[in-house]
Amino acid sequence: METKTVTIRRKALAASEEQAAKLRERFAESGTLVLNLISSPGSGKTTLLETTVGRLADDYRLAVIEGDVATERDADRIRAMGVPAHQVLTSGACHLDARQIETALEATDLLPAEILVIENVGNLICPTTYDLGEDFKVALLSVTEGDDKPIKYPAIFSRADVTVITKSDLLPYVPFDLETTKQHIASLNPNGVILVVSSISGDGIDGWCDLIVRRLEAKRRS
Amino acid sequence: MHEMGIAIEIYRTCREAVQEHGEGRLRHVKIAVGELSAVEPDLLSFGWEAVIADTGDEGAELEVEFRRADQRCPNCGESKDRSEGSWFRICPDCGAPLEVRGGDELDVLEVSFEAIENGAPEEQ
Repeated sequence: METKTVTIRRKALAASEEQAAKLRERFAESGTLVLNLISSPGSGKTTLLETTVGRLADDYRLAVIEGDVATERDADRIRAMGVPAHQVLTSGACHLDARQIETALEATDLLPAEILVIENVGNLICPTTYDLGEDFKVALLSVTEGDDKPIKYPAIFSRADVTVITKSDLLPYVPFDLETTKQHIASLNPNGVILVVSSISGDGIDGWCDLIVRRLEAKRRS
Repeated sequence: MHEMGIAIEIYRTCREAVQEHGEGRLRHVKIAVGELSAVEPDLLSFGWEAVIADTGDEGAELEVEFRRADQRCPNCGESKDRSEGSWFRICPDCGAPLEVRGGDELDVLEVSFEAIENGAPEEQ
């Protein structure tokens, strides 16, 4: 029997990435800026999102997709602020896939929106691998998690255009070396942006919201 | 743990490649997994065995080519040797910020299969 060897060089996740490319086209048509928020559980994704919604919802049409293993809690928190939110329940799966985003968009009227924030399942590893058609990934790192996380989980910090260091109001109380952490992140991602914020005190939130608005405007111009 | 799902996608990609070039039974698959792909090669191999079990392709080998990321200094113009899993914050020689290249691969590179004459349908 003849053995044939074919050199193919194809993305291993071709089907998922094809779907992500379709989503990206769709978001370009609707002029929607899409953020993919990735972090450990408990780093403050939903709280930052609430703060962001509070600042931007009067001026921009926002929508949110929440990914969690169980419960509608996060989507309920966003809906309570008057912003449409859809909860994807993964029943144990550790990340969101572009096909779940497509299903969520089909099932809801989240679009048209000017800014769509996808809050991924709390996990620093698996969501890194999956393109959701977003404009950029945002990695969150809370100061209580420890300053060694970027070098322990380099993949996400190398791929996120923006890293947001959260809970900065707790810096006086925890051993977190901010400058070394910034250097670690920069070494993995020389062109990335690093922001330091506290959703509780409001420090750094202006800069974060400005970044979103500037990127929305840049997308509209392009 | 998302390697099982990735193993399923790799199998699907391989099957499509076989069908584009005839029909046959998978023998050997070569993939590239980057250090920054967030995929663990051993778990992927365990997942692969589970995915092909009880199919016509049972026994097909998955060869994983692990690709390191390269930390390069734009100032010295050199790649910096580092031990596995460790990263330089700045260039150890001149203190400049480093660049990162590669290491994000997750690609199917090569698919080998036993061709079946006349395109006879394979067992699945």
